[in-house]
Amino acid sequence: MPLLRRLLLVLLGLVLTATIGWTSVRRPEQVTILMPAPFADATAEQVIRFNAEHRGRIRLNVIRGPRDTESISDLAISSLLLGAPPFDALLVDVTWLPKYVAADWLQPLDPWFDDADVASLISGARLGNSVDGELYRWPFGADVGLLYWRTDLMPAPPRTPEEVVQLTQRLTEDNKVTEGFVWQGRQYEGLSCDFVEFLSAFGGTWLDPATGAPELDSPAARATARWMQELIRSGSSPRAVSNYAEPETLQAFKAGDAALMRNWPYAWSELQSEGSAVQGRVGVTTMVAEPDATPAATLGSWGFSLLRDSVHQQATAEAIRDLTSPEAQRQRFLVQGYTPTAAALFQDPELLQKSPVLPQLQEALSIAEPRPLTPLYAQMSDLLQRQLSGVLTGDDNPDEAMEHLQQATLTLLRSAGGDA
Amino acid sequence: MTWVLAVPALLLMALVFGWPMLRYGWLSLHASSVLTGLEPVPNQGANWIRLLEDARFWQDAAQTLRFAGVSVGLEVLLALAIALLLDQRWRGRSLVRAVSLLPWALPTTMMALGWRWILNTPYGPIEQAATALGLPPLNLLSNPDWTWLATVLADVWKTTPFITLLLLAGLQTIPADLYSAFRLEGGKSLGALTAITLPLLTPYILISLLFRTAQAAGVFDLIQVLTGGGPAGSTESIAQYAYLNAMRFLDFGYSATVMLAGFLLLALVIVTAAVLLHLGRLVRPMNP
Repeated sequence: MPLLRRLLLVLLGLVLTATIGWTSVRRPEQVTILMPAPFADATAEQVIRFNAEHRGRIRLNVIRGPRDTESISDLAISSLLLGAPPFDALLVDVTWLPKYVAADWLQPLDPWFDDADVASLISGARLGNSVDGELYRWPFGADVGLLYWRTDLMPAPPRTPEEVVQLTQRLTEDNKVTEGFVWQGRQYEGLSCDFVEFLSAFGGTWLDPATGAPELDSPAARATARWMQELIRSGSSPRAVSNYAEPETLQAFKAGDAALMRNWPYAWSELQSEGSAVQGRVGVTTMVAEPDATPAATLGSWGFSLLRDSVHQQATAEAIRDLTSPEAQRQRFLVQGYTPTAAALFQDPELLQKSPVLPQLQEALSIAEPRPLTPLYAQMSDLLQRQLSGVLTGDDNPDEAMEHLQQATLTLLRSAGGDA
Repeated sequence: MTWVLAVPALLLMALVFGWPMLRYGWLSLHASSVLTGLEPVPNQGANWIRLLEDARFWQDAAQTLRFAGVSVGLEVLLALAIALLLDQRWRGRSLVRAVSLLPWALPTTMMALGWRWILNTPYGPIEQAATALGLPPLNLLSNPDWTWLATVLADVWKTTPFITLLLLAGLQTIPADLYSAFRLEGGKSLGALTAITLPLLTPYILISLLFRTAQAAGVFDLIQVLTGGGPAGSTESIAQYAYLNAMRFLDFGYSATVMLAGFLLLALVIVTAAVLLHLGRLVRPMNP
């Protein structure tokens, strides 16, 4: 019995010494970033390289979140509301930023990214990262709305809303195509993205840039809604467009059924792939506009934001800088096709060879337009989608719908405590 | 003086039910969103004005009531048939009784996940069978007109056993000599169902309707997992909209308004059901 007890004591002593010895070895700082699954996969190699280069100092872990935008938003917000979230940074969609800043969850990135860094970005990628003059987000990639056109059906793409209607009507009457102009008309966020571009085509804005008040019953906004209904009624766009999201739109254009398509940059490589009926017969340009209006390209894109409660801010900022370095961007463009944000890469011969439409992307990025930068954007967009969907699928009068939308938006602002 | 004995229960009710409701009522009269720094600021009833004009809320209210009405109706009919069957004497009855309770024992989230796979396009067994028969894709979970029936199906599958249990208990309270007397008088078995079983079972049916309607009107977990409220919001319930306003839009004032309005609608349904229950008592025949 005493022997056994002595043995046990020795064993206990050994375990204690080993534990103390183990913990006193300097452990690397743990940095955790939450990303939607596709982005986590796209950065996997860069994370491995980063951890190898920072061995013993920083250990970067990526949480592979849900694929769906709304699910990852729910996941992030639940942990942020509870406090002490288990990550130091997260990828945020461009439309979330004002809400996260207003909720006081984010730490400004200004100490780590200076004016020279911002100046190195392509123009469109500089938008949607700051709130009240402070930088809260560093872009992961650039993303804007584009107008795709068929080079075999027209000598040059249309430049005004009227030309779109005339051209597509002629082409459908001549049985060249069955679907004319395809875009995202389903009741979801894509419809809001398209609306921002169409509205700009008629010279309007969702919110007054100076006061931030909604301007959805302006003559330009009414004209936009009338034009969208006209597209479907006149047969310029198929009736089914009111239930189209990006995949259906791409499918119609890829099969050669449509003459014009509004979509994001990812569509380009799909259209040049083997199964495409329009391979080599596609041009890329920016959205049309009235002669006296400025065309716009809706800004998409995700970016990294640093959390206020993170206790590894310096290390996290280093990781963000590394994951968004020109080299990382080049790799993601060549492998996954994510549009880079560094201006210099748009002149890179290797990248230009991979995608000859980079100059057109650059042009679209120069007219990039973020959706309204307000913490209430999600609700405003929901109201817009409902009203527009009624105009597109039903017989709602476009003028009345926009008046109603304006009132509903003002009611929302009042109820949420805004100055309206 | 007997009411004194009820005081602890009443206090508990006030604490867990009365206080939160009062708090919701108070919050629904305030703006409490990211614009106010999540602090409550009085907004002169603007939330309620917004609610009245909020097409999404009314759509969700209609969808919630449709879900509750159709699923509870189907469940009661099915449960009645199953309970009558399980009340008869036959070999293996005990085993079937135990097995038939299994769906009720499963956590809703797990069973909703299971149904999501069963109804999945293109990998689910139903879709695979349709493909094998040469039918076009059914897209069971992405049809804005019909997907709500999938939520009903999953709910019926899970909660029919619960009502079966209630009705089976009710059936066992009916004295057997009533049936003997009925047969002695020369009645047919189908006649016994309408003359004895159904009238005596009515209070149990009404109680199940009450329980289940209240539960179904507050549906959240099943729909959240099965469809997430989609496609195009066609299966979204009031509870989900309230959750969305709080958790995604960070608009706690309006979320409280939606929740309270949902509660008032539910209370309306329950009061109606309670009146029916009362009427049921009045028409209940006396036990011999």
